[in-house]
Amino acid sequence: MKRNWSINRRTFLRGAAGAMMPLPFLNLMEASADTGVKNLAGETTPPLRFMSLFKPNGVHPPSWNINGGTENDFRMSPLMAPFSQHQDDLLILDNMGDYGFSSHTNSTRRFLGGHHGNTEQASMDQLIADHIGSETAHRSLELTTEGLFTGQIGCSYISYGPDGAPLPRESDPQLIFDRLFRSPLDIPSKRTEMTSLLDRVRDDANSLMRKAGSEDKDTLDEYLSVVRETEKRIEVMNKGGKSSPIKFEDIERPPLATNLDEQVETMIDLIALAMWTDSTRCASYMLGNSNSRMIFDFLDIHEQHHYLSHFFRNFSRENIDSLLKISLWHMEKFDYLLTKMKSYKDHNGSLLDHSVVLFGSGMGHSDNHTAQRVPTILAGQGGGMLKTGRYLRYSENQELSDLHLGLMQGFGLPIDSFANSSAPLPGLDGSAFNEYRERPFDSWIKLSSGKVTVQGRLVMSENLDEAKTFYIEVADKEPVRMDVQFRDFHDFNLAYHVGTPITLTGDRSEKDGQLQITKISDLKSVFGKSQPGKKNG
Amino acid sequence: MEATPESVSTFLDQYCIQCHGGEKVKGKVDFTTVSVETASKEHFDFWELAAEVVDYEDMPPEDEKQPTAEERAAFQQWYEANYIHVAASPGVFQPRRLSTPEYRNTMRALFGFDLENKVAKSEQTAIEPSLILKLMPTDPPGESGFINDTHAAPLSTVLWDQYAYFSEVALHQLFSPQGHKALKSMLGEELPGKFKHSDFTQKHARQLIEHFAPIANRRPVDQKDINEILTQLEPLSGVKLVDALKFEMKTILMSPGFLYRGMRMKRTPGQQQPVDSYELAERLSYFLWEDMPDQELRQCAADGSLKDPETLSAQVERMLASPKARSLSDSFATQWLVLDEIDDAYSDPYLLDSFKNQPLDFLNYLFTEKRPVIELIDSDVTFASHVTASIYPKDKNKLEKYVKPKGIEKQVVPNQKLALENTEGRGGLLTMPAVLAMNRGPILRGTWTLRKVLGEHLGEPPADVPPIQSTIGDKKLSFREKFEHHRANASCARCHDKIDPLGFAFEGYNDKGAYLLSSNKSPLPKGMQSKDKTPAKIDTSGQLTTGESFQNFEELKALLLTTRREDIVRNAVEQTLSYALCRKLESHDGPAVESITTTLLESDGTWQDLFTGVANSLPFRETIFSSDSES
Repeated sequence: MKRNWSINRRTFLRGAAGAMMPLPFLNLMEASADTGVKNLAGETTPPLRFMSLFKPNGVHPPSWNINGGTENDFRMSPLMAPFSQHQDDLLILDNMGDYGFSSHTNSTRRFLGGHHGNTEQASMDQLIADHIGSETAHRSLELTTEGLFTGQIGCSYISYGPDGAPLPRESDPQLIFDRLFRSPLDIPSKRTEMTSLLDRVRDDANSLMRKAGSEDKDTLDEYLSVVRETEKRIEVMNKGGKSSPIKFEDIERPPLATNLDEQVETMIDLIALAMWTDSTRCASYMLGNSNSRMIFDFLDIHEQHHYLSHFFRNFSRENIDSLLKISLWHMEKFDYLLTKMKSYKDHNGSLLDHSVVLFGSGMGHSDNHTAQRVPTILAGQGGGMLKTGRYLRYSENQELSDLHLGLMQGFGLPIDSFANSSAPLPGLDGSAFNEYRERPFDSWIKLSSGKVTVQGRLVMSENLDEAKTFYIEVADKEPVRMDVQFRDFHDFNLAYHVGTPITLTGDRSEKDGQLQITKISDLKSVFGKSQPGKKNG
Repeated sequence: MEATPESVSTFLDQYCIQCHGGEKVKGKVDFTTVSVETASKEHFDFWELAAEVVDYEDMPPEDEKQPTAEERAAFQQWYEANYIHVAASPGVFQPRRLSTPEYRNTMRALFGFDLENKVAKSEQTAIEPSLILKLMPTDPPGESGFINDTHAAPLSTVLWDQYAYFSEVALHQLFSPQGHKALKSMLGEELPGKFKHSDFTQKHARQLIEHFAPIANRRPVDQKDINEILTQLEPLSGVKLVDALKFEMKTILMSPGFLYRGMRMKRTPGQQQPVDSYELAERLSYFLWEDMPDQELRQCAADGSLKDPETLSAQVERMLASPKARSLSDSFATQWLVLDEIDDAYSDPYLLDSFKNQPLDFLNYLFTEKRPVIELIDSDVTFASHVTASIYPKDKNKLEKYVKPKGIEKQVVPNQKLALENTEGRGGLLTMPAVLAMNRGPILRGTWTLRKVLGEHLGEPPADVPPIQSTIGDKKLSFREKFEHHRANASCARCHDKIDPLGFAFEGYNDKGAYLLSSNKSPLPKGMQSKDKTPAKIDTSGQLTTGESFQNFEELKALLLTTRREDIVRNAVEQTLSYALCRKLESHDGPAVESITTTLLESDGTWQDLFTGVANSLPFRETIFSSDSES
């Protein structure tokens, strides 16, 4: 089984927008030392930040999953290649999620909400923002890439407020920039400009007033009273405005994004900048709705992302290539974020050192919506909260809410339960955890009339031309090949069992002298659950 | 019998005040709040309603003491003398702030680009593409019911900050590389490809201000004022000059002349007078386009030709042919007919998109393609897409076939024009599915038809409405029977005698607007099913209060097209005039309404005739300035 991996990396060369932002900030770097918060002992320590980045439409598991390897000795998967340079800053989690199958909506809520049924509580990013967001101009940022998916509104939100209601998200980078750095009356020079403008328009209104009849006098009075009120507001701000060590006027406004790539990179630039300037300490960002139908025409792909993500049902080699191109683009954006966060000096380290970044998706398999092995990666040291550079493959499926609880406790929240969880995920800070371990098992083939029962490790073909092909590896024998229909694939949740030993019975045939299974009649896990994830989620 | 203020007061004391202003105030109608002596013009609609119910013998209720025919006639005569047979007058000038959509369009026309909420587009996602519409609070409708009637929505500091922000964003973009094309067109000259701020000269500044100031003000600006601006810029060049220019332009964008309409009109105090030609151009342009005048209209204003009715009519024709006239359906008709309520009518976004656009596409067709006003009620043209075509089983094959592109799961596609030749139960606005679905049930459908289409002024329901009984003794009442019973109460009957027959005529359509009585049983599109009655149990018959009876909606439609045609056309005129004037109509607008209505009825007039009639009407072309100005 030779890996057939031929995505053209040059397609992903960074656009011009990538180079746009940093220069104007170089001179501001010095000032950043002043943005730290003081702890009780009066020492200045850098503030902690939390950032989450959501990838739509799950993953193609054979390209994403790390198979084999241990905590400190592992090789990142092909889809992880774009950000492999950051391996030392990553904590890659495996076996996250414990549901049979998940709808797009449920998987979106679960990403930060811990559980799809957790509908009356804030998501964890918001609880963290409650805790760390009060000292910054912006408590938190809730950002996304595309509009509201009106058909299933839940696909559009990862962040939820105190009553569990979805929080409005923003998607235009220029608008975010203006909110962060161009709030007109916050900038002293803009206040001065507005004062002269008010003088001028007042003169104008007064001269109109002299010609006006009673009917327009009321309107002009109303206009002049707004002019006066604005003058008063400026006076108040001139007296009391706190001075920031960073001159926001010097930060260049990003140009209008001309494609999705520029839009997203600009938004990531802004997130990093907002955190570094201590304008906010908490942000959530969706690279798309969880069932995104965006079309990546700038990658020369003209099919909708969601259509491609159902790669089993809509199989063609071109579709798989396109899907992987899109996923690699997502991974590049994660890389871009990390690179950006590392480029900002923050006290004695980088911005990333004092942040926790949670990157992931909603489902483990994008076609049948399997909700185990949900892609989940943490990045950044969080000021020592995380011990990075490791791959944690848990022996059992872990609830996402355990991870959330652990992170919230790491941020100092006095909280001992969240969604379904009452125990934090172990291992994040280097503490002991139950690691997945290979156990010895027998493998064999038993033939009966028309049927075959095989015990061995289930693997998925790594040949991208064979998306519907699986193998069962049997010691000292040729692997048994299975070409399955979607129904079997889904009913027996093959995606869940991939990589683990199973006992499988099915109809057999022979092709080119090789034993082949065409239809599955029974599947049992040798060690784990045969019917994984009791509930749909 | 001659009506005097005294005799009218006696009439009211005898027949009305007991329930309306004495100890009780039913239906929020209170005669103690109005005066017969002054017969104030402000109370026009109060007396209009009163006269209507007395004339139709809807009031006093049947079980109360009834006035004689002469007494009723005398009251009617007093009303007409004070409110109908009044001299035509244009109404006193009122300035008003640009509504949010007007402001958005005006900024776009002025700068040559839209202020965008720039977000990657994808299928089936909702995003407000305009930065202005996204950030501005929604204008509340004024007394007229239209949001361009901004008299009740004054300027506030919130709006001020938003205007300042939009000005800033627009100017930033104008002087950025992306604004290069727009800047070039403002300067009216070729600029080098890499034109930088440092290349800016005094000559450019002059060109820019001389172009920008009059267009923004929608009229010429005194050379003195232009020179004053230029003096500010004189010592500067390059980057500093650009910054100063931005400030000058921002000042223009924040000044009353830009934010309000009519502020700088030429005026002679104390006189009724034709509005100046720039004001006329502006009125016309905001009426038909919800936007500022374009260059041709500005030219017609500058040379005065717009004041010539023929030129004005020719401009109406030209402007209706422009895509900008779509605002007439998307703003005017949507607000008049409350079509935004369709948004909640269907859960499937594709069905919603096609059905929501159907009445808008249809109205746009009526408005801009010289269709008769009455085709609002009956037409053999509709608009549909492959998503909705199945409700036209025998006509749908005429639509161009939709071929789904590879890899596209679902896709919004625009409606196509479709001639209805063999379809039952459709044709005209009233039987469009979305219109039926936004008004669920006979009562809402009847009320909407009466108010919005026939233009009837129903009062408020009385406060002491008896509950609608669902049984009498042991007998369970059908929905229709419940309302028959309800109408036995005189104060309910006043409105429900009119509402119910209209509403029950639509019983052949389910809650999603599907037609249940069709002889062709093709399946409905997904999302149009509802708990439907079996056709045999559907009763669509009824009788109008004027006596005509009908068996089904088709027969009712025939009545609407004949005996109620005048009401429908008059209502269309009133709505259009009110929208064009951005205010509630007053009694002195009556003659204009009557004259336009009469002309339309005589000639089976078109919507274009109606718009032209409004543009040439007295209240549109003239105004009155009060006499207390200082100069």
